[in-house]
Formats: sequence, structure tokens, C-alpha cells
Amino acid sequence: MQGMVSVKNLVKTFVSREETVTALNSVTLSTPPNRILTLLGPSGCGKTTLLRCIAGLESPDSGEISIGDQVVWSKAKGISLPPERRGIGMVFQSYAIWPHMTVFGNVAYPLEIRRTPKHEIEERVKKILDLVQLGGFENRLATKLSGGQQQRVALARALVAEPKVILFDEPLSNLDAKLRESTRQELRDFLTQLAISAIYVTHDQVEALTISDDIAVMRGGSIVERGTPQDIYLRSNNPFVVDFIGRANFLSATVKGYGGENHAIVSCALGDIVCSAPSGLGVGTEVTIYTRPESFEMVPASSPRMENEFEGTVTSLLFAGEAHEAEISVGGARVLAKLKSHIPLKKGDKVRLHIDREWCRALNPAEEA
Amino acid sequence: MLNHRSSRRFPLVAFLIIIVSALTIGPVVMLVIGSFSEGIGAIGKFTTGKYVAAYTDPSLPKTLLNTIVFTLGTACFSTALGGLLAYLSVRTDIPFKGLFRVLPIVPMMIPHVLFAAAWIALINPTNGMLNLFLRNLFGFSRGPFNIYSLAGMIFLEGMLDLPVTYLVISPAMYSFDTTLEEASRVSGASNLYTLRRITLPILKPAFLATFTLAIIRSLAAFAVPSMVGMPGRIHVLTTHVYRIISVGWSPDYGRAAAIGLIVLAASIILVYLYRHLIAESSQYVTVTGKGYRPIVVELGRARRPLFILCVVLFCFLVVIPLATLVYMSFLPYSMVPSARAVSMMSLRNWRTVLANSVIIRALKNSTFLAVIGATLGILLSIFVAYVIVKVKSRGSALIESLSFLSFSFPGMIIGVGFMWFLVRTPLYATIWGLLVAYVGTYLPYGVRPLRSAFMQIDEELEESARVFGASFLRALKDIVVPLLAPGVVSAWILMACMFIRELSVSVVLSRPGTEVLTVEIMKLANDGLWGQVAALGIIMIGLSTALVLVANMLRVPLSHVDQ
Repeated sequence: MQGMVSVKNLVKTFVSREETVTALNSVTLSTPPNRILTLLGPSGCGKTTLLRCIAGLESPDSGEISIGDQVVWSKAKGISLPPERRGIGMVFQSYAIWPHMTVFGNVAYPLEIRRTPKHEIEERVKKILDLVQLGGFENRLATKLSGGQQQRVALARALVAEPKVILFDEPLSNLDAKLRESTRQELRDFLTQLAISAIYVTHDQVEALTISDDIAVMRGGSIVERGTPQDIYLRSNNPFVVDFIGRANFLSATVKGYGGENHAIVSCALGDIVCSAPSGLGVGTEVTIYTRPESFEMVPASSPRMENEFEGTVTSLLFAGEAHEAEISVGGARVLAKLKSHIPLKKGDKVRLHIDREWCRALNPAEEA
Repeated sequence: MLNHRSSRRFPLVAFLIIIVSALTIGPVVMLVIGSFSEGIGAIGKFTTGKYVAAYTDPSLPKTLLNTIVFTLGTACFSTALGGLLAYLSVRTDIPFKGLFRVLPIVPMMIPHVLFAAAWIALINPTNGMLNLFLRNLFGFSRGPFNIYSLAGMIFLEGMLDLPVTYLVISPAMYSFDTTLEEASRVSGASNLYTLRRITLPILKPAFLATFTLAIIRSLAAFAVPSMVGMPGRIHVLTTHVYRIISVGWSPDYGRAAAIGLIVLAASIILVYLYRHLIAESSQYVTVTGKGYRPIVVELGRARRPLFILCVVLFCFLVVIPLATLVYMSFLPYSMVPSARAVSMMSLRNWRTVLANSVIIRALKNSTFLAVIGATLGILLSIFVAYVIVKVKSRGSALIESLSFLSFSFPGMIIGVGFMWFLVRTPLYATIWGLLVAYVGTYLPYGVRPLRSAFMQIDEELEESARVFGASFLRALKDIVVPLLAPGVVSAWILMACMFIRELSVSVVLSRPGTEVLTVEIMKLANDGLWGQVAALGIIMIGLSTALVLVANMLRVPLSHVDQ
């Protein structure tokens, strides 16, 4: 299928003088066509190695990689296509803009190699530069541009030859915070507009959540969870993923019963709580539940009692502008809660909090370890 | 605040400007005046006769042509080899990379005079040992190699410049962002196309800079042209000047100055070109992100032949010349290694050399110049580097330009300038005259490493000492000096070794009484006393090594002055 990348049982180890590092531990993955898949994980998790193996810049030890219908690397079949024959585009972390060429020269390069006629090169380069809003910059030396502009030159160069798939290696990490946010939005717009298949590597959770159609979270050379941004943020069953993707309060709990198919009633430091849970947890099972700090809402003391409410004491407080970051002591546990900052709060206050049952989730004990 | 600081240091800056200009511009001015003067005893008597004589010399066109072939040939040879070695050591999986770290210190080990002497002993056309050996083997009646040729000169000078070209190209290779190549591969270009369109164009300024530097060095070269070129009657500009002042019954320093000025002008232009190219090449350094591990180019089947090539080069550079020197030093005359040769080995050359009172004096003089000269030179360099880095004013910028200027001066020519300069002073024909000329000529080699050492010392360290009550000199002594000590010692070693192997300035200024080792070695070589050349050469290498070892022992206590 057009643009689909599939990776089977890919293994890659790096041998240095002191030790052997397993960068990829039998990774199997296939990307959805015309969608953006993000490989997310902390540094050293193997995400960049996986991307470079797909690009052909790194040779795996075993396994198979195909792009579209074509096997580009296979140990068993003895196939190893060099990067230039894999029909991909790539945006590098350093942008890798060639300093001795103009913007036009950089972007035209992939087409020149493909022996595209001159007039067509000019036409297509102009079109793509207009798309990335760099029309009129053709004759500038590429290194004289700002970081954000260089980044767009890199994107234009990766797109111009209409590759089957485009690879991004932390393309925004060299931009400053403000620019990163706006570029993120632009990039997402370009890619959805062009309906192009992309694999995107980042260690930034927010970037992954905002830009992707699909996320694969990696750890220690393996993919630990795969799903849509919503799945990953709200419905993960993996404690590593939960912890990595945002801040979380983990509490130990005991299953007391089921309230509907996907919701369990558990007993924990917050009292008896209804939370979303994987099905099939027996009564009495010890589980860990987690909540996000931003999931707590303050309830006025006068309102009637509802499900999933509890009372606690503010033990420490930070004013962070958009919210109070409050540590609440409840039933012997401490939870971090982000509370609306316009409500006056001080240390020692008693607060009544509510948490939605969808915002609170029991982890599958099978996946802990 | 700034004005206050610079005004407090104004006397220091002014004093340094005077000293440094006297050392660098002084001889140039004297060279110009000298070229328009009747003679060394009649300075200031204006004449253009020297120019007429110098530029109507019928041997000049041939000399110019030789110089062009020699410098361009050397630059091509040494840049190509230096580039290849730098690429292999930085970017590929060539084995024994530690070997390449030896390369930059090779010229400190074997001075040019000795390198040339060893190779002459091996492949001179009459009794070169390698030639004799090959003749016996294949029954040639003569040859097969003749070092007394332009090719021989280019071969020797190219090998001698190889460590320098390697040193200049390597950083460019190191800082090369390999994702630039990866981006090209991913764009659809093959390895070879990438090399042609991306790698080489980006490295072009670095290669051109190296090439320019090699031209500057070979233009100033004297050891190889005098020892190899002159016997073969192949004269280049430096030996041409040397002949004007040393051959015949009356040395003509005016004519030498008139010719010398064009060499000097060419060198200065080339140095500015070099600086420009280096700046351009550093502009291409675009590494911004944290670098992924650089891809190591796998050489595959070419790995073994390329490694063998490197080993051969190292043998040519170090092993063969050193072995030849040691072997020759025990033999009465040149002969191919054999049982007979072994039976004839003796210490005679060593005894003869050490019994020669002139050589003993040269040994003392060279040691004096290295120890005292390097100490004074480094002391001056410390002040100059300090002012360049820490005092930002128009005066310090002037000092920077001045101290960099003599980097471009060919020793031979500036030696003639110093001749005109010193002859008006009581220093003329004394060891101190040589010392002043050495320091003036080699000042950049002291200032440059110290400048980078100073740049690494944060200004606040010194400022805090001032805040706590230390005077400027006290802060310098207590804070800056200990931190600087390792850099100072390295610079001292470099300068001392350069002074020991200095030839081209000495050959102009050395007089009976102020003989130095290199000049004496050259004289012994001119007389064909290869055994004595070798023995004295090994003594000279031993002297440099001893200085390096002693200086290194001083490095530790200098860094801990407070105990």
C-alpha cells in the first residue's frame, strides 16, 4: 500500500568497547497510510535508531523493513537498499541545510538527482516554497535564514520530490518555545493538507499529542504502547506511559466490584471511587489507579454530595499563573492537583474535590512490572 | 569603567606596541631602507641600483619558475596527502587510529635539516644507500633515484609539510556535520555524488586554506632547497637570496633585500588570503543540534591497502629517516647494510663531532637560545596575549595584527631584514642578536596558543581577585598564572623546539662565535660528512627531547603555586 511502512522483528545492537547496547529489541510496527505516526520516548529508547534504520542510514542486525510494497531491508532475503533508493524524504534535527547552496539549490537538489527537466524543477520548487511561505527567498544563502525558516527549507526539500513517506527526526527541538508552538501547528496543517504518510520522532509529549494521528511510545528498544493521542493520554494501561506522557498521581487500591462493563469501584486513600478499568479484574484484586493533576475540580462546600468526591487539606501551594499547584493530603496519601487560580486558596485550607470517573483509571496489573 | 581600565593599562599597551613593532615591523622597514641603500656600511645613501641589479639578473626567470613549480607541487602533494590522512583518521574505520596522533609531533622530533640529510644519504645519485642497494639488485649502472631534482625537493618538502596540512584539515573534518551528507543520501544521491556535490564543496575553503598555508611554508622553506636544490643547481627564491649574501667575495645585502621584498609581499598577501579562507570555512560549520554519533565510513576492501599506504607514509616520515641517521652515525662512509658494514661500525663520528670546538660552541649556543630565547619569548607572548584577550581597545587590536604579521615572514628574508636592523646596534654578531631575531620571527607561535589559553580563563575569576584587594599584577600572579601554567609550558616547549631546529634566520645571522647546531649540520652536509651529520643530528634530537622532558616536569609545580 502507498506510503505504508512496516517493520518486522527489527533488532539493532551497538557494540562499543565496554558494552553492548540493544537499541532495538525485536520491534514490529506498521504505519497507517497518509497519517502521521509519532515515535515517542525518552532519550536512548531507540526511536531515532528505528527512524534511521527505516531511512537506511543505519543497518539493523536482523528483521525486515518494507516501504509501500517494496522490501527495502531484509536479513533473510539479503536485501539492503541504500537510502537513496528508498524513495523517502527526511527532515533532520539540525535541518542539515547545505551551507554552500541557496534556498533554491537546497530544495531543487532531490529533483536534480532525479533528472527532472529544468523548467519543471523551477515550477515545483516555486510551488513548494510558496506552500511553506518562503516564496521570494530562492536566491538567499540558506544559512543566512532564521531557525524557523531553515526548518521550512528542510521541510520543502523533504517534500519536493513527493516521497512515499517523510521522516522527521525531532525537527522542532532546535526552535525556541514560542516558535515551536506555532511551527507545530503549521506542520500539522501541511501534513494533513497533503495527506502524506509521516513518521515523526520526538521526546516531547505535547508535541507528540498535538501533531500525531497515532503514537507509539517506546522504552528500552521496544514499543510499549500504541494508540491515538487520546488513547495514550487518557486510557493508557501502562504505568511507564502514564508517567512519561504527563504528571500523574498513582494510588494503590483494591477492587470492590464493577459498575458497568468498563468501570470498577475501588477502595483507596480517596475513599470509594468509581474509575475506568480494564475488564475482568476480580473483586479483591490489588491495583494501581492514577489521576492527572488537572482532573480535579473544586466543589463548593454547600453543594450536595455526589459520586467520586473527597475532602482533603492543602499542605503546600504554588501559584503558577494559570493554576494553583496544590498538594492535597487525603486519607494518608498526598495528591497533586491543579486548581483554578482565581479561587483564593491558602495552605491549611480544607477543600472538597471531585474527579470524573473517566479521568481516573485503574492500570492493568498484568502490565505493571 | 572600561575607559578607566584601559587607561590604567595604557602604559603596558603602549610599551608592548613599541616592543612588538620593533620586533616585527622594524626588520621590514630596515629591509625596505636597505634595498634602497648603497651597502650595509652605507645605509641611507639612496640608490635604485640594487633593484636594477636584482631584477635584471639573467638567472632570475629560471629561479622564479622553479619557485612556482616547487611551491605549487609541494602544496598539491602535502594537501592531498594531509586531506587523505585527515579523512581516513576522522571519518573511516581505518585501524590503529592512535598512530595518527603521532603525526603532528613528528616535525618536533625530526628537524628539516636532518630529514633532508637522511633522505640524501638514501637516494642521492652517486652513493645513496637505497640507490646502491637497487643497483646491486637489478644491475643498474646508475640511479635509479635522484634526490637532487625538483621532484626530489617536492617529495621532501611535501612530506615535511604533511603534518601541518593534516593539522589544518582535521578540525574541518571533525566539525563536519554528517547529517549534511545523510540529507543528500535521503534525497536520492549516491555516495559518490554526495561526495562531489556536498562533502567536497563544503570542505573546499578548508582545503584551499591548507593549500595556501602549504604554499606559504614552501615559499619560506630553506633546508630542503639549500641541501637538495643547490647541489642539483635548482635554485628557488630563498636559495637565490642566500647565494647573494653568502657566495662570492662580497655579500650584497641590498640586492638580497630588493629580491626579498617580493617574497615578503607575496607571503603577506597569501597569509591574508589564508585568514580569509579559514574564516569562510568556519562559516560552514553549522552543527547546531546535539550530534548523533557520526557515521563511520566503512572502507571495506579498501581498508587494508589504505592502511598499508598510511604505514608506508609513517615509515617515510619517521622510521626510515631516524633509522638511517642512527645507522650512518656509526659508519665511516655510505654503504648498504652488510656484514662488512657491521664490522666497520665505530664511534669515530661521535668522537670527531664532540672533539670539534666549533660544534661544542654551537651546542652551547643552541641550548642557550632555546632555553633563554623561549623563556623571554614566552614572557613577551604572555603579555601580548593578555592584552589581546583582556584589554579591548584600539591599541590591543593593533598589537594583535602586529603579532600575527610575522607569521607570514619567510625566515630567510626577515633574517636579511634583521641583518640591516642589527648592524646598527651593539647586538650585531652577538648571540643576543640571534635571540632578538628568533623571538621577533617566531612570536606568533608563542602568542597564538597563549591567546586561546587566556580565552578559556573567565574574566570574573580575575575580577573577583581585584575586588578582594589584589593589585593587577598580584591578580595576574595569583589567579591567571596558575591557571595558565599548562598552556604556558606547552607553548614554551613548542618555541624551544622551534629555536633548536631554526635554520633560515640563523643562516643569515650566524657568525663565527655565534654558530648554531642547524647551520653546522648544514655545513657538514655540504662537505659530505654524512656520518658526522648523523651523529650531531642525533645529539640535537636528544637535546630537544631533554628540553621537552624537563619542561614537563616543571608543569606540575607551576600549577600549584600556593602550596
